[in-house]
Amino acid sequence: MRSSALTQALVVCRRELTNWSRDRRSIFSVLIGSLFGPLIVAFMFNTMANRQRQVEDVKIPVVGVEHAPALVDWLRQQPGIEIVPGPADPQDAVRTKREDVVVVIPRDFAEKFAASKPAQVRFVSDSSSQTARPRLQRIRSLFQRYNSEIASLRLISRGISPVVASPLQLEDVEVSSSQQRAAQILSFIPLFIMMAAFTGAMSISTDSTAGERERGSLEALLINPAPRGAIVAGKWLAGTATAMASVIITGALLYAIFEYLPLQDLGLRFRLGGPQLAGVLGAVLPLCPFIVAIQMYLATFAKSFKEAQSYLSLLMMVQMVPGFLATMYPLSSKAWMYFLPWVGQQVLLTDVLGGKSPSVLFFVAAAALNLVIAAVAVQGTTALLQREKIIFGR
Amino acid sequence: MIRLENLHKRFGEVRAVDGVSFTAADGAVTGLLGPNGAGKTTTLRMLYTLMRPDEGRILVDDVDAVIDPQGARLRLGVLPDGSGLYPRLTAREHIEYFGELQGITGADLRNRTEHLLKMLDMTAIADRRAAGYSHGERTKTALARAIVHNPKNVLLDEPTNGLDVMSTRAVRDIIRRLKSEGHTVLFSSHVMQEVSALCDTIVVIARGQIVASGSPDDLRAQTGQQNLEDAFVALTGVDVVPS
Repeated sequence: MRSSALTQALVVCRRELTNWSRDRRSIFSVLIGSLFGPLIVAFMFNTMANRQRQVEDVKIPVVGVEHAPALVDWLRQQPGIEIVPGPADPQDAVRTKREDVVVVIPRDFAEKFAASKPAQVRFVSDSSSQTARPRLQRIRSLFQRYNSEIASLRLISRGISPVVASPLQLEDVEVSSSQQRAAQILSFIPLFIMMAAFTGAMSISTDSTAGERERGSLEALLINPAPRGAIVAGKWLAGTATAMASVIITGALLYAIFEYLPLQDLGLRFRLGGPQLAGVLGAVLPLCPFIVAIQMYLATFAKSFKEAQSYLSLLMMVQMVPGFLATMYPLSSKAWMYFLPWVGQQVLLTDVLGGKSPSVLFFVAAAALNLVIAAVAVQGTTALLQREKIIFGR
Repeated sequence: MIRLENLHKRFGEVRAVDGVSFTAADGAVTGLLGPNGAGKTTTLRMLYTLMRPDEGRILVDDVDAVIDPQGARLRLGVLPDGSGLYPRLTAREHIEYFGELQGITGADLRNRTEHLLKMLDMTAIADRRAAGYSHGERTKTALARAIVHNPKNVLLDEPTNGLDVMSTRAVRDIIRRLKSEGHTVLFSSHVMQEVSALCDTIVVIARGQIVASGSPDDLRAQTGQQNLEDAFVALTGVDVVPS
């Protein structure tokens, strides 16, 4: 009744997954690991988009609308502008922060305007308020535009070219654009995806090695007539499954973010569409077996679950280095980088998210390399489990 | 049938097992009796192939366990020292898990599992997670998963250690039952009464060496002590007050 090593590996894999799925803590850690990145990205994008919108869409409380119907009509036609009746006491409303800016049109506006005399418009605001300043600027520039439009019309009606009245042409060039900030956020995404793979693998990597020995079930498991290699492979498969699940959740969430967040408001040309998502998964999924195999190998040395976790936290620091370097010094992807484990995935992700499409060959090469190293690490773990010192934790 | 020939194992300078030989026959219960640290667990670990002897030969039925450990493991059911369970799997799942690793599947696996759960009086806890088990329940679960494949040879390392009266009785019943079914049962213990109540043959081990072996009557005759406990003390030199 001897069953094949593959069947035995699958048996171990299934039981490991059952045991894992019933542990609220490990489910929780996978969720945290895979939600963390997308949530941060969504939050950052959303904040930026909101700030942008706040400046562009302005509700202007106007006191004395009836004194300047033409002006108010013109304002209403401007995009993103809404005119609402102003409060009875504008100064009090601003002082008590009920309004940021209130526009007051005095009673004699129509009379002076008709007589081509400067007609007064008052802006009531508190310049010490952070939110009021960009808004005041926006409103003021609107009125300045109206001002110069009317001025041009008056000059033309008197037979003078309006150009004479504009000795300077002022132009603003925005450098710290939201697009640039958005690109910065994008550069964090590879790091988040790789972290999801790492944290998704961790609970099975530690629980099925150091944890198994700590609770004293390793000995009984190894007495089964299954080859050690099959047992290790089963655990490795289980860990790979959870790591991949974590990556897929992260990928899907990022996809949703790019689908539903109003990123075009930020002037972002990039979209994470189907092909990019496929590229991301194609780069990172083959990384999962590699990560799990390395984690398991290290955790097998640990005497306890806790010790294993501290080893892996150190490993996580090491693994984050290329990611951080890439956000600070954008790597120009050189060909050799694709052939380094972990770094290769980083470069592939940066390419994919940067709108380039690297050759399929690079994906295949990186995946193959990862699998080879994973196989070596699995072999290594199997060899460790032949050692009496490891089994009995001396 | 289990036969050990001249087994040696040392850890650094310590000779944990130093020339142990004995045979455990089919259809008989053999007790490996000795004080703590005498080498019982190390001997069993070599027997169930997780440790390699420095020297000596181990036969499980006709399989040389040193040369073909996997073949030997197929013929063994083992309750190791300390019965670690998976806290989030139920007793039934533990039994099925090990059954599947032995290549048992489908209805056969279900029947055997059910049979073991009944035999060990575990139906009440069968579908509860192991995290909340008492010591006795843990031991029973570990024992059930160890013999799910109905192995010819059963090794039990201190099976009744720390169990209450009812659980101890249950384990003894299992041992008798296995014996009556023709299995080879080898168990270790440091409790005299237990060994004398169950065993056909007692092997007394002390400081890594066999100091006596035979039926309980043989041991009494050898030492000239009527009481087995006195015989044990006389043989192992434990608890002897220097005069």
